[in-house]
Amino acid sequence: MPASRLARLAAVRGQIAALEAGTRTPSAVLPFGDPRVDDCLPGGGLPLGRWHEVTGAGMETETAAATAGFAALLARPLATRGAVVWILRRDDLYAPGLAGLGFPAQRLIQVRVRDDTAALMALEDALGSAGVAAVLAETEAVDLTAGRRLQLACERHGATGFIIGRRPFGGAGRKGTTGSAAATRWRVAAATSDPPAGEPGLGPPRWTATLERCRGGRPGQWTFEGRQEADHGPHPLSVAAGLAGDGLVEEERRIA
Amino acid sequence: MTVWSRKNGASRDRLPPLEGEEGPFALLITERAVRRLYAVNAAARALGLFPGQKAADAAALVPELDTADADLEGDAAALTALSDWCVRFSPAVALDEADGLFLDITGVSHLWDGEAAMLADLLTRLAGNDIPARGVVADTPGAAWALARFGGESTVIAPGGQTPHLAPLPVTALRLDETAAAQLPRLGLTRIDRLLALPRGQLTRRFGPLVLRRLDQALGQAEEALTFRRPPSPWFDRLVFAEPISVLGDLVRAAGDIAARLCARLEAEGRGGRRFELTFHRLDGRAFPVSIGLSVAGRDARALTRLFAPRLETIDPGFGVEIVTLSAEGVEVLSAAQGRLDASRAAMAEEGLAALVDRLVNRLGEGQVWRAEVFESHVPERAVRSAPAIGAPASDGWDPDRPRPIRLFAHPEAIEVLARLPDDPPMVFTWRGRRRRVRRAEGPERIAEEWWRRPVDTVRTGHVRDYYRVEDEAGERFWIFRAGLYGHGDVRWWLHGVFA
Repeated sequence: MPASRLARLAAVRGQIAALEAGTRTPSAVLPFGDPRVDDCLPGGGLPLGRWHEVTGAGMETETAAATAGFAALLARPLATRGAVVWILRRDDLYAPGLAGLGFPAQRLIQVRVRDDTAALMALEDALGSAGVAAVLAETEAVDLTAGRRLQLACERHGATGFIIGRRPFGGAGRKGTTGSAAATRWRVAAATSDPPAGEPGLGPPRWTATLERCRGGRPGQWTFEGRQEADHGPHPLSVAAGLAGDGLVEEERRIA
Repeated sequence: MTVWSRKNGASRDRLPPLEGEEGPFALLITERAVRRLYAVNAAARALGLFPGQKAADAAALVPELDTADADLEGDAAALTALSDWCVRFSPAVALDEADGLFLDITGVSHLWDGEAAMLADLLTRLAGNDIPARGVVADTPGAAWALARFGGESTVIAPGGQTPHLAPLPVTALRLDETAAAQLPRLGLTRIDRLLALPRGQLTRRFGPLVLRRLDQALGQAEEALTFRRPPSPWFDRLVFAEPISVLGDLVRAAGDIAARLCARLEAEGRGGRRFELTFHRLDGRAFPVSIGLSVAGRDARALTRLFAPRLETIDPGFGVEIVTLSAEGVEVLSAAQGRLDASRAAMAEEGLAALVDRLVNRLGEGQVWRAEVFESHVPERAVRSAPAIGAPASDGWDPDRPRPIRLFAHPEAIEVLARLPDDPPMVFTWRGRRRRVRRAEGPERIAEEWWRRPVDTVRTGHVRDYYRVEDEAGERFWIFRAGLYGHGDVRWWLHGVFA
């Protein structure tokens, strides 16, 4: 591609980004530190001051273990910037397990709510509070109105929200996709671990994460590996060696 | 200040007012199988009847005496209700035996323009509810008690001026025990001034320490602690309305106004409160308290109003609310750094977080907002303990060498297992109706029960758990355990948690 076309393309991209942002100031991002992921995300990283959706499939919609672990690692770098709040409907989040992922579980503020309405109310309240860097909430669905409200709450102090899709007590799940107000939507499933050769047991946790929807970015699919040690690269999630390169999911490719 | 209502003056639900009765009237109690008079009205008193008299004697003296049974429990309940009602005058109210109340009015009388006006208001309201009562304002509870019961008039005693008022009263006005009360008059010491004339040393030697202590307490030379229903707090304010209010919006505005007043006082003294109780006093005398708690002491009136506002919907204003009181508890010194202007970013963040926790706790309930903290136990269920949401971690954290699941089930779920060898991790297991083939496994980690926490004869090998971390072919990771040892009775497999 000639340089002039590239420059024009970049200019058009900038205009689109400006239109999408509307009156909002462009938000900060949290890069994964890997171009294979960052190139798909607007601004080169996970947008902060927005809210994101992490969902699973099958049994995962009820246990929400892989999704919770993935979301916790997405939020982990934010824990140094302020408080992290986790809103639960079911009291089964196990702090030692979170701590095992390198998450500062002892500083995490946990909130138990009775239903989805209370969860969204607490989520909105927490997102709009000074001193809160990230809020994770386990709820079933966020409709468009609620999504817009969450977005406005996020913009007040730049907090980042993570919705972990979960049906708390079994039963049939709701049909259809939800909340297009989310900045990104990830579909997460556990992936088989790959311990170093010759070592018995299980390796570090791995997830297959599909970026299903991303405002101003491109969808994609990667296998991530969680790292416990904080000094291991810029982000606790790294694209697992040898398994990456799935890049774009061609059939889902679209400009969101 | 003490208020004394003659016996059984407080509960007037069932019976006509004692003093309003035309003819002689008395209440009876049964004491050691003897019916005795418990309380008498003015007409009966004029005929020479007195409490403690045998009912048979009284009936013989005054055949037309009308009687009824005394309801002691009802009286106590009515007095308690009355003490709650008195909170409109002062937050510190103490019950005094079965028929009196102590109100600590230190620092609140200015709200009525003086103690005399306050006392008059209290007595008028009591009289309006058919409760005949006598009230005395004095420096000490002892003096107020004596003058209310034996002085004859409702008065305000000037500060330090109780001695001349007390002097002519009988010694029983000193709240003595039975022996002293019986012994003193026998020796001619009927009045308090006679007692005052005696050398102090002799009093203690002859009548025990109580006489002198009561005397000193009445005269203000010794401290006396009252058992208040609520700890006395000078952090109290009230709003009185000329017209009763009942609309929710008005209640919220009243809450805001009174919070602003109390908070201004707190700010002037550099203090903040941890608990605030807002009470709505209705026209009919019932009181509706609403209280909120803060995780960090505060004095921001707007924040307080926001916390109160959602609770006010539960208030039933009835015919209207005439008085609103607000009291602060747990008042502590607050650093001046809380001011908005010079607040650093960190302080603002901390403040915002504390406000958030307060909102959530007050909306969702106590215990619904917490922080997990390390508890020294190797039993997984007990390794976590709830701590207040605002605070610093107490210890380093959990042992990183022991992998733990991100979801731990409160009740382990039974699974069916195929294992090659008794001590091997399973090859295949079925959980929630789905069969899973184990690809990788790790373990066992043996966790025995904490046998020291239960009687030794109930400890079983079946309580030993061998935990395995297993990963199935899809990559999902589980924490399963075998309860019991092969060859030692029952062995069962359970799934206890799911890893991320």
